[in-house]
Amino acid sequence: MQATSTIREPLITNGKTVHDVTNDICRQVEGKPTKLWLAAMALSLGVLTLGVYCIGMLLWEGIGVWGLNKTVGWAWDITNFVWWVGIGHAGTLISAILLLFRQKWRMSINRAAEAMTIFAVICAAVFPGLHMGRLWVGFYWALPLPNTFGSLWVNFNSPLLWDVFAISTYFTVSLVFWYIGLIPDFASIRDRATNKISKKVYGALSFGWDGAAKTWMRYETVALILAGLATPLVLSVHTIVSFDFATSVIPGWHTTIFPPYFVAGAIFSGFAMVLTLMLVTRAVFKLEDYITVYHIELMNIIIIVTGSIVGIAYITELFMAWYSGVEAEQYAFINRATGPYWWAYWTMMTCNVISPQLFWIKKIRTNIVATFIISIIVNIGMWFERFVIIVTSLHRDYLPSSWAMFYPTFYDVGVYLFTFGFFFTAFFLFAKFFPVINMAEIKSIIKSSSEKVK
Amino acid sequence: MKENKKIYWKGLEQLSKDPEFVKYANKEFAEYLPLPNEMPEEGSSRRDFLKMMGFGIAAASLAACEAPIRKAIPYVNKPVDVDPGIPNYYASTYVQGGDYCSILVKTREGRPIKVEGNTLSKVSGGGVNAQVEASILSLYDNERLRGPLAAGESTSWENLDYEITSKLRTISVNGGGIRILSNTILSPGTEAAIEDFKAKYPTAEHLTYDPYSSAGMLKANETNFGKRALPSFDFSKAKSIVSFGADFLGTWINPIAFTKQYSKNRKLGDDKKTMSRHFQFEANLSLTGANADYRTPLKPSQEGVAVVALYNLIAGKSGASKISGGSIELAHLSEAADSLWSNRGASLVVSGSNDPAVQEVINGINQLLGNYGRTIDLAKHTNFRKGDDSSIDQLIADLALGRVAGVIFYNTNPVYNHPSGAKLAEALGKASLSISTSDRNDETASLCGYVAPDHHYLESWNDYEPVKGSYSLSQPAIRPIFDTRQTQESLLNWSGNNVEYFDYLKDRWENNMYPGGLDFQKFWDTCLHDGIWNAPDQDSGEAPAFGGNLGNAAAAIAKNYKAESEGIDLVLYQKAGIGDGSQANNPWLQEMPDPITKATWDNYLTVSQSFANDQGFTSFEGKTNKAKVTVGDHSFEIPLVIQPGQAPGTVGIALGYGRTKAGKVANALGVDVYPLVKKVNDTAAYFVSGDVKIEILSEKYQVAQTQTHQTYMGRTFVVQESILPEYQKNPSAGRVKPKIATWQDESHKVAPGSLSLWKGHRYENHHWGMVVDLNSCTGCSACHIACQAENNIPVVGRAEVINRRDMHWIRIDRYYSSVGDPKDKSISGLKKLEQAADNPEVTFQPMMCQHCNNAPCETVCPVAATTHSTEGLNQMAYNRCIGTRYCANNCPYKVRRFNWFKYHDNDQFGENSSMNSDLGKMVLNPDVTVRSRGVMEKCSFCVQRLQQGKLVAKKENRRPTDEDVQVACAKACPADALVFGDMNDPESKISKMLKIQDLDDPKDASKVDKRILEPRAYHVLEEVGVKPNVVYLTKIRNKETNA
Amino acid sequence: MDSNKHFLVGIYNDEDLLMGGVKKIRDAGVKIHEVYTPYPVHGLEHALGYKRTRLPIAAFLFGLLGTSLALTMQFWMMGVDWPMIIGGKDFAALPPFIPVTFELTVLLSALGMVGTFFVVSDLKPYKQPRIFDIRSTDDRHVLTVDLAKNKLSKEEIRKIIQSADAEEVNEKDFE
Repeated sequence: MQATSTIREPLITNGKTVHDVTNDICRQVEGKPTKLWLAAMALSLGVLTLGVYCIGMLLWEGIGVWGLNKTVGWAWDITNFVWWVGIGHAGTLISAILLLFRQKWRMSINRAAEAMTIFAVICAAVFPGLHMGRLWVGFYWALPLPNTFGSLWVNFNSPLLWDVFAISTYFTVSLVFWYIGLIPDFASIRDRATNKISKKVYGALSFGWDGAAKTWMRYETVALILAGLATPLVLSVHTIVSFDFATSVIPGWHTTIFPPYFVAGAIFSGFAMVLTLMLVTRAVFKLEDYITVYHIELMNIIIIVTGSIVGIAYITELFMAWYSGVEAEQYAFINRATGPYWWAYWTMMTCNVISPQLFWIKKIRTNIVATFIISIIVNIGMWFERFVIIVTSLHRDYLPSSWAMFYPTFYDVGVYLFTFGFFFTAFFLFAKFFPVINMAEIKSIIKSSSEKVK
Repeated sequence: MKENKKIYWKGLEQLSKDPEFVKYANKEFAEYLPLPNEMPEEGSSRRDFLKMMGFGIAAASLAACEAPIRKAIPYVNKPVDVDPGIPNYYASTYVQGGDYCSILVKTREGRPIKVEGNTLSKVSGGGVNAQVEASILSLYDNERLRGPLAAGESTSWENLDYEITSKLRTISVNGGGIRILSNTILSPGTEAAIEDFKAKYPTAEHLTYDPYSSAGMLKANETNFGKRALPSFDFSKAKSIVSFGADFLGTWINPIAFTKQYSKNRKLGDDKKTMSRHFQFEANLSLTGANADYRTPLKPSQEGVAVVALYNLIAGKSGASKISGGSIELAHLSEAADSLWSNRGASLVVSGSNDPAVQEVINGINQLLGNYGRTIDLAKHTNFRKGDDSSIDQLIADLALGRVAGVIFYNTNPVYNHPSGAKLAEALGKASLSISTSDRNDETASLCGYVAPDHHYLESWNDYEPVKGSYSLSQPAIRPIFDTRQTQESLLNWSGNNVEYFDYLKDRWENNMYPGGLDFQKFWDTCLHDGIWNAPDQDSGEAPAFGGNLGNAAAAIAKNYKAESEGIDLVLYQKAGIGDGSQANNPWLQEMPDPITKATWDNYLTVSQSFANDQGFTSFEGKTNKAKVTVGDHSFEIPLVIQPGQAPGTVGIALGYGRTKAGKVANALGVDVYPLVKKVNDTAAYFVSGDVKIEILSEKYQVAQTQTHQTYMGRTFVVQESILPEYQKNPSAGRVKPKIATWQDESHKVAPGSLSLWKGHRYENHHWGMVVDLNSCTGCSACHIACQAENNIPVVGRAEVINRRDMHWIRIDRYYSSVGDPKDKSISGLKKLEQAADNPEVTFQPMMCQHCNNAPCETVCPVAATTHSTEGLNQMAYNRCIGTRYCANNCPYKVRRFNWFKYHDNDQFGENSSMNSDLGKMVLNPDVTVRSRGVMEKCSFCVQRLQQGKLVAKKENRRPTDEDVQVACAKACPADALVFGDMNDPESKISKMLKIQDLDDPKDASKVDKRILEPRAYHVLEEVGVKPNVVYLTKIRNKETNA
Repeated sequence: MDSNKHFLVGIYNDEDLLMGGVKKIRDAGVKIHEVYTPYPVHGLEHALGYKRTRLPIAAFLFGLLGTSLALTMQFWMMGVDWPMIIGGKDFAALPPFIPVTFELTVLLSALGMVGTFFVVSDLKPYKQPRIFDIRSTDDRHVLTVDLAKNKLSKEEIRKIIQSADAEEVNEKDFE
């Protein structure tokens, strides 16, 4: 039984019936691709090709084609890695944590959000791979495999190794979670399918789903437990990513506040990215009735909260640096704000701390355009946060003799573009051939929420 | 049938039952083989493994070099003394122009791969410098001529000799002059050969000149003491040293020996609480000036006045009559006078000036101070820098007038490195016979009719007499690689004497040096083995009679120098790496950061901060502008570098750059400023005063510097320093001992090292460590090149240095004192601290992997490619590394180096000649892997040498001593600032220096810790708690007050 | 008449009617073969009297397996098989092993459970499900009764289903 309090506004508007849901969602999948979609696809494929070229050069010539040097050993590579992982978090968070909290409004967005998670994590995983000097051996030496080197094992003390486990686990579980959710909808498409190919393809994808009550019972249990597992998992992933820095000895990295601060930041940027994508999908596929302003407002509120947490974390860092009395630590933070990279620091501050505060104003937080703009600003800010942490800490650490600057090259940018190319290509494919909204779940709340408009 | 058994004897010995034979009868090989049965039984397996490996590498590296070695014969019969995998050392002598160093050459499977100092030598005292270390690579320089040239075409020695001798004959018959032009010749043998040549061709004369001349001193000594020679100095005896622009630790006359002596008197310890006090008056901040206790900027156009002023001050104290002139206000000049006077007899005044007048006054000062016979020995004079500055102009005139028809350039390149080079070049056309013996077709050789390439010094026999009575020999360490011939042999051959120079040399020694006594062969072998021979001591010590009239000198000075000179003085100086440019094609030297500017691959115009301010010119991270410099009718463009300590009103440019025919590496690097050298008092003056115009252009330029941040930001956890009076009161003066607050300890403060989650791992057998004495290190950078040669470190080229990707495992951090207050760490204060002072105090801090016991790099490597050895070494497994660079990021000392590209067998890195040509590869050390692309590398404490040393000791069933285990940098250091050893061995030098006590307190968190009782000892970044195995000794300056 | 071949299929267009219907039909003593719904109808499993699934137990056991595997692997590799001095730390200690242990626990638990789910519910690629009514994945709830499993006659059952607010009742036979 659906118990939805009557004060709440309906999650689905215009009195959609269960059948309408099936039609509206499947229409995208069954219809011919629109011109807009084709254009978008062509664009992202273009970017992807450029990216592939840059990666080719990177692998052929060596890491030297990037702008790194003896002092700054990581820059755009790990910045992008952390940024993408962070973005990924929103998906799991929406589908898992909001599921545990029985937040029904998640249902319209969790499918796309999870898809985003998966593509984002793939993009993220590109960088730990490519940043290795010897990818061709690194990709399997980093795993605890028996080997011909006298069974030389990996180093379980290394946060980088923890990353390997965290990221791969995170990716696998998200993928499974997402796919479980897709199975019933594939079945719907399969049963509506008119032409042979889609019958075959969706038939295969739907694993022979028949919607039997017994299966639904197990299905719900599985979903619930996966959510229960994914919740600590998603928190652990960015915690472990933050260990890469927190367990080091470099001033500006060696900070115990990192785990919570990174997780908050991840959710922050994740929700921003979800908003960016949702607003586009919503417009392109005319899903205004499923993704309502109410959804957007709720997400904006989460952005205010996480944004403020991040802001507090920044201030805390400064305070701790001053309070610690550690000279190098103090300098690291003075240098962030006033050194050669001051512009990066202040970009970060404006985008992440100031811009989300605008959402306190209801007009802005319920305004689609404003939301869209701010969501992008936040993502820019979060990229700079990682850049500031990584580069400005490294470029001036303990011994002034090694202090240096980092200047990105064409290939730094190119490989970053590659991930964008991949991400959007994948996302557009998903949006075209997969049900972008979880039909089964939506249907389960149609009755309760449509009652109000009867 | 009667059976008959034939007996086959292995030889007559068997028949005659020769005892020698019987002894080895059951052996497979009669001669000695280093096989296990020759050695103590235990643990021979690993030694065998090492031998196999050694042989494997040897075979591989032999296979790697086909072209140069024309007869690469597999060891079917083992050559005497050549055991694959075991290095052989041969004593020899490095001589380049007038520079001298007695050396040991390390050869592996017949290839010289490393040069080290010969401790037996009194002259160079076992020290080396960067140029000596790098000379090994010049042996394998691809630009070397493969054989003789006639008119630019390669020819055979027979033809060459035939043509040359016939031409020589015709010339001398027609009474045409013949000139042999050389740099200073230290070799009696060579001089004899030249004499023979002159005897054969009476019209022949021998002229010498030096690219960087000391003719002024020669003249001065001639006038004052009637002896045209440079004296030997002894800086170790000098308690007070005053130098007017003499860079005696870097480039002046015999820097290696001077550094040895100088550093002896800069060391401090319980038994020695005093050190020399060093005043430097100079324009450019030189290596020597950087080590001075008091440094005063001084325009070269004022130097004469300053010298006179000092003379008068001393004269005032001694009651001698003053000389005219010398009215100048100069900081620290009177202190210098006091210090000199109170240490008379144990003091030393030197000047880099090439003006005889100035040098006469300097002689006068030393005379007044009674330094002759004590710190200066003219009786035991040296043979350095005997060049005459007028010789070449004379030659040019003679050529022009047709008085000279034949010229032989013996290993000289005057067309490049003499101011009148251009004139000589055109005059040379007039000569009917011109021969160069240069090893490459350089600026001069390419203009000569014939090139008869000389051997590299490592391929040749020779003898030297750098200092009167101290001889040294050089012997070939490898068969001549190319079809070259030793010039002495050529000269003898052309004078119709077809003797081998070796026999010629040996005969001369038998007749001239051999003191009698034991038979000559033994004598000869000993000399050859030692590399040196000291003639029985003759007269020495007593002060020579001082003559000459300083009045004339004073007059000459008054004419040429002014106390208040207007306009800009341009100083032409030499860099410690490139020197006069003769080794310019050596990529190691080109990429060696200049000790002061830390710049590579370039020369540039050093300007003072005040000049930059006036011109409104700023520079950040090596990004600078070009300037247009106009001197008289010469004009060129050159990048600017703001140089703290540069005397206001002066600018400096290094000689030795702008080569055009030195080879791929050196050509078109920097600007050639030899043409700017003018003459004052008819000796070359290495500065131009007056008509120097500088115009800053808008054109941007990036100077490739390995260090761009100048100061240490008042960070006492990096550099800890104090002054002598403080030190004498409290030996631990300047030490900063960080404490970390804890909850358990009642004072709530403990040493950072004592806080640890872990018990740590005890090093049962050895515990390697190193001491770096900041007081002794002069920053000369010999260790740089020694390390590069020992560990196959690639050269990355100018562009990559600009990208801050230099690969050196050891670097010398150079810090200036800053304008700000070291205590003020406010935002504005920090901005001030970033600016170097106008006339800064300099600290050199050698920095290499600290081999931390709690190494942060090890923890973070995901594949355990870098781990800790049971002897305290932080070790890299290259072939396990996947190149995440996490270790480098997490290294607080930033000493790890990443292979960004493939530096070997890659045309893009042609300048990395030691890894990109078969010839160059011969220099590689077979004991050290050439790292592949994408892996991390860093200082290994020369682990291959440690293993070698341990094996040697093990063969003799004993613990390795300091002699067995010496890392390349410590071995090379001429100042003994680096001391390496086993901290578990109470007998080792390092244990004694640091007064190490083992603390075996079970309650103590980490058992690896040693208690270091030396009060000056400190760890860089102690509070990070990584527990390095490299210990630094505080820098103590001999000053009265701080500031 | 052999079982699992001949069915009566009741179609419902509203989940509340379905719930009521199921109750009525079971009270009438008709064994319901299975109900197929386009989305999870909460409480239906109780109405049909299904036992609670034991998948959580599977999840827990797989998780346990993950934990123990992770710990054994790390302690054996770092502490036993090839101990190396790394950063002066102990060869093997618990703290640095926690993250990997956690991740592997989650991973095995999740994969194990989902795998079990696919097996017990017999879900696999290219499996052809039995479709009683194509609309069951769109907006209709489909209630099926296996005639062979019931003593009552087809007509009686049809009446019962119709009386239980079914929108329509069809026959469906499989070969």
